[in-house]
Amino acid sequence: MKAEHQKIADSFKSSGKRLRIVFISLLILLVIFMVTDVFLGSVSFSAADIFNVFFHKTESPLNTIIFNFRIPKALTALTVGIALSLSGLQMQTLFRNPMAGPDVLGISSGASLGVAFVILGFSGNISVDSLRGLGNWILIAASWIGAGTVMILIMSISSRVREIMTILIIGIMLSSGISAIVTIMQYFSAESMLKAYVIWTMGSLGNLTSDQLNVLLICISGGIVLSLVSAKMLNAISLGENYAASIGLNVKLSRAVIFASTSILAGSVTAFCGPIGFIGIAVPHISRILLRTSDHRILIPGTIITGGIIMLISDIISQLPGSESVLPVNSVTSLIGIPVVIWVIFRNRKYSGVF
Amino acid sequence: MKRDPDEILSFCSLRIGYAEGRKKNALLSPLTASARRGEMIALIGKNGIGKSTLLRTLAGLQLSLGGDITYSGKSIREYSRTDLARTIGYISTEIVKVTNMRVYDLVAMGRFPYTNWFGKIDKSDHEKITDSIEKTGMSSLSWRFISELSDGERQKAMIARILAQDTGILVMDEPTAFLDIGSKFEILHLMHLLSQKNGKTIIFSTHDLNVALSQADKIWLIADDNILDGAPEDLMLQGAFDHLFDSTSVAYNSENGTYSFISENRGEVRVSGEGIMLHYTKKALNRAGFSISEGEVHPFLRLPSGSCRYWQFMNGDSVMEFGSLYEFIKWINAEMPLST
Repeated sequence: MKAEHQKIADSFKSSGKRLRIVFISLLILLVIFMVTDVFLGSVSFSAADIFNVFFHKTESPLNTIIFNFRIPKALTALTVGIALSLSGLQMQTLFRNPMAGPDVLGISSGASLGVAFVILGFSGNISVDSLRGLGNWILIAASWIGAGTVMILIMSISSRVREIMTILIIGIMLSSGISAIVTIMQYFSAESMLKAYVIWTMGSLGNLTSDQLNVLLICISGGIVLSLVSAKMLNAISLGENYAASIGLNVKLSRAVIFASTSILAGSVTAFCGPIGFIGIAVPHISRILLRTSDHRILIPGTIITGGIIMLISDIISQLPGSESVLPVNSVTSLIGIPVVIWVIFRNRKYSGVF
Repeated sequence: MKRDPDEILSFCSLRIGYAEGRKKNALLSPLTASARRGEMIALIGKNGIGKSTLLRTLAGLQLSLGGDITYSGKSIREYSRTDLARTIGYISTEIVKVTNMRVYDLVAMGRFPYTNWFGKIDKSDHEKITDSIEKTGMSSLSWRFISELSDGERQKAMIARILAQDTGILVMDEPTAFLDIGSKFEILHLMHLLSQKNGKTIIFSTHDLNVALSQADKIWLIADDNILDGAPEDLMLQGAFDHLFDSTSVAYNSENGTYSFISENRGEVRVSGEGIMLHYTKKALNRAGFSISEGEVHPFLRLPSGSCRYWQFMNGDSVMEFGSLYEFIKWINAEMPLST
């Protein structure tokens, strides 16, 4: 009897130790990639230059590059990675579907419809930029509403249909329907706005104004707090609705919290950086592999760090270190994410339907 | 009337079913029954009659359409979600599939109604969890992923979870449905222990009448739109099981509480012998459609006894010998084909 208890305690210790090692390594990687992302780019500089920038406060072009471009861009990458990965994790648990993610289920499309309404829908006289601070909030709110609407739609569908593939197909249909609407809007909109919208759809981490970055940081912090609040709920929901309710979970309330958190996280990022694919679906799986747990109190921080790392790597690759040109970050995330997604599909073939 | 202090659950004029908008589709007429502490209650009824709906309603997962449920004398309406989760636990036939979830994690979910907003497992929670795992004999598997468990082990882990939930009442929807015979009896034994030793009231639905009749302290039989409530033997004496299946091909034997097929009667056979040999020979003959008679005029089957290791079938002057019942039945089927 005592021996059995001891055995459980031992397994506890060794798995706790493993977790600590994984977390520390991830944090170190995060710092390394953050620094690398700041110092790699089209303009290269030496270590001595960097030392000067940070410790002598000299006014130089390098100073501007680092503080006005590189650091905000790295911060954006970090935030985007965190937000998309977290929303993907929450959706995968909520739908109990390993293929769920903001882009696959049409949540990002919903957000882009909101954005399209704002960018293309305004008459020629008022542009988003002319609204200054308020414009950013309008943009982000429209994005939330779009994301939230699609989220609720998919949720009501998935309560009737359980097969992953059916839900995915419906998600694709929704996305197609939404892009059809957006195309119609594009057809009727002025050239300048059209251009603004098309550039937005390519996804970019470097085009944010400092106002926008502030708004993004505020929103994502809110989303992270909500997701931490939802950790216990997510654990219960992963058992399935019936079991969740039987252990005392308020299913409707927790759904609302998770919806809000997901829509804010995915919507805010989409509003400012465009639809960035495959981070949301792939990163939660990577962190599950690393952490080997189903406990969201561990998965959430793990996904936050992993998401940040993956997005920073994507950004570093997209800058094509040593060259003048820059790749669209969207393509890089797709190329990183798609193999993970395919791997998950193959691994899940033995489980039919839910995970 | 004074309330029985050991009565842990009762429901009165309970209407169960699904509400569609304003329309209420009640499945059965109002039901009334009760359960006492430490009782093991089997819920029996035909498929689709509303067993699962009743269990879900009792577990508070589904609203009733009328009537009241009381736990230890207090109405379900006075319970908060958390209080209810501390009173009654539920296991359905739904299989929990979560990647990377260990047995320990699953059992820890039972502490949900006791932990803080972040779900922190403190020392007393941990004690409860390891205790529950131990009670179900899962200690050696506590660090396994639940996706690697056999059906029986998974069911034990689910029971450990419900134990960690520390509820007086356990509701289980067909707890032995997927299990092989060995695991089935292990689970039943565990349920029995929990009701006897730990005073848990266990309400479970089953299709296995033998299990219900032998294991349950009490049976809730849903038949003819109503619920019959009593000890298995009471219900048997009332003839409650006779009409459980409205079928002409299934016959109920009230003496040993089993159901059997009614096969076409092909004739009568006289049998001599005794003990287990007689029992199984009779069984084989019955299955083949022969009834056992005492009359001298009928064919006679002598069982292996003493030095004779053959079944000897004597019909008139002819004598046939068979090394096994299988051969005998094969021969007799060929000799006397069923009239079609």
